[in-house]
Amino acid sequence: MELVNVKKTIGKKEIIKGLSFTIHRGEIFGFIGPNGAGKTTTIRMMVGLMQLSEGDVRILGKSITTDYKAAVREVGAIVENPEMYPFMTGWQNLMHYARMIPGITKERIREVVALVGLEKPIHEKAGKYSLGMRQRLGIAQALLHRPAILILDEPTNGLDPAGIREIRKYMRKLAEEENVAVIISSHILSEIELICDRIGIIKNGELVAIQGVHDKDHADESAVQRIVMEVKPVDAATRLLKEQFQITAAAMDGSSLSFDENKENIPVIVKALTKQDISIYQIGASNGTLEDKFFDLIGENIIE
Amino acid sequence: MNRFLKLIYNENYKIYIRKSTWVMYAILALLIIGGAFLTSVYGDVDKGYDANWREQLEQENEQLLAENEGYGEDEQYLTTYNLDEIEVNNYYLEHDIEPTGYGAWQYVLENAGLLSIVSLLTIIVAAGIIANEYRWGTIKLLLIRPISRTQILLSKYVSVLLFAAFTLLFVLGFSFIVGAVTFGVEGLSPHILLDTNTGLEYVSALKQIMTEYGYGLVNLVMMATFAFMISTVFRNSSLAIGTAIFLMMAGSTIVGMFSERSWAKYILFANTDLQQYAPGYTPWIEGMTLSFSIMVLLVYYIIFMALSWIVFTKRDVAGN
Repeated sequence: MELVNVKKTIGKKEIIKGLSFTIHRGEIFGFIGPNGAGKTTTIRMMVGLMQLSEGDVRILGKSITTDYKAAVREVGAIVENPEMYPFMTGWQNLMHYARMIPGITKERIREVVALVGLEKPIHEKAGKYSLGMRQRLGIAQALLHRPAILILDEPTNGLDPAGIREIRKYMRKLAEEENVAVIISSHILSEIELICDRIGIIKNGELVAIQGVHDKDHADESAVQRIVMEVKPVDAATRLLKEQFQITAAAMDGSSLSFDENKENIPVIVKALTKQDISIYQIGASNGTLEDKFFDLIGENIIE
Repeated sequence: MNRFLKLIYNENYKIYIRKSTWVMYAILALLIIGGAFLTSVYGDVDKGYDANWREQLEQENEQLLAENEGYGEDEQYLTTYNLDEIEVNNYYLEHDIEPTGYGAWQYVLENAGLLSIVSLLTIIVAAGIIANEYRWGTIKLLLIRPISRTQILLSKYVSVLLFAAFTLLFVLGFSFIVGAVTFGVEGLSPHILLDTNTGLEYVSALKQIMTEYGYGLVNLVMMATFAFMISTVFRNSSLAIGTAIFLMMAGSTIVGMFSERSWAKYILFANTDLQQYAPGYTPWIEGMTLSFSIMVLLVYYIIFMALSWIVFTKRDVAGN
């Protein structure tokens, strides 16, 4: 899926100011940004609910503006909340959508229902479903026709931790085994970090960054990282770091020290500490969370 | 084509799975049963006559005349009623036609008035069919299928017309059954004596049923299309129901108010009653003809449909 210079103007206000990015098959793409940044508007344009003011969205090479039917055939989506017909059962809801696309068998519907774990309540009225159940039904509905691209707006909204984990596992499976491109929008950063391969950050209708989540695994060894160390006694360790390495370490919750240092220097520091009979219980290094990066890029959360 | 049928099936499924639809049908059924009950208890139902029907009719006439002499000045309406009865009886005698009793066919004909209830229910369905999808939020999931918006809109409109047709068939069929059970059937080719502007006329009941219901259908289709348009443009079913019912009720009053103006004949409601051109009737406004009315109706119809179509296919589906 490819977005080419997508713009949306409502009235005189430019809401989306030229988005261009590509999403590949088999990857999970996270789409994040503060409220009002244009996430949902972009998603609505990607599925043809809103017209593009300029630019184009191409799905497997088919344009959403000129070849709508063929393009949208490859898309499964939940836009905002997974709203269903409350007076129909889960099964009837799925049958309803299945009739709109040729080639969906009852077998396929059962398969999808099993996949999202709704076998038991599928014959109950959707109006009685909890938000989590509706979310699952929404995902089932989006998967019926084996789309090449799955677009989920806040997919884990309303799911319990076990459900979130399940969905995450399932997204991964879809991407890897069925080669589906999954696009997830969210503002829960930690969650995006766990699920996605790449992240696009949008702010005020502009794409501020596209970044691979797993880049850090191959990060430069010499890069400065935040090191957290649980040691005993703390004051002796602080003094040693100051004297031998000129590191000012901050004490955290009584038994830990935190400081910024190159990864390659850690073994040397550890040796020095153990020589002085300082016990080390654990050492951790982090690149800084996505949250830190997010706020670096976004700055303050201002809606223009 | 097959897919379009499936779309229509979907829309009908959504109409008939809801309890509110069945409540509508229950109300219609109650009205039909209640009407038959009232007619059989309080109505003056002819039981029919046997081989001596001529003598029986003459006897009846004498009896009615005798009754009239007994009535005072202030009971004139009863006198008139009896005189009408005598006139009817004389028609049968003069034309040598054996009168048939009251039966199912006549009951069906009398229920042509229920057509306004059918219109009402159709307006409710038409007003909801688009607006509800927006209200439920399901419009988003409906429109992200590989189907053009035109087709979705058309399937919904066809479903509204189908609902009107089914409901009308229900009224016809159920009235006949209830009529048959309560009053019996007058035969396979029933005729009735009709009191028209040009005097009494002996006509086929079937033909009369078709005519009465047929004229009523024009108004039904126009108002349903109007409600559908309001529902599509404003995405608000209450507004659509309200305006459509108001206009349906107030239509003739509106025409009456402006009847002096030269443009009054272009008002939709001056043209929805095509019976005004039937023999024995006079048009509401001088100079109007059947083909003029049909043209005006067509123009309104095209405007309603075009507005719905343009708005539905061009509009961005944004947040609620």
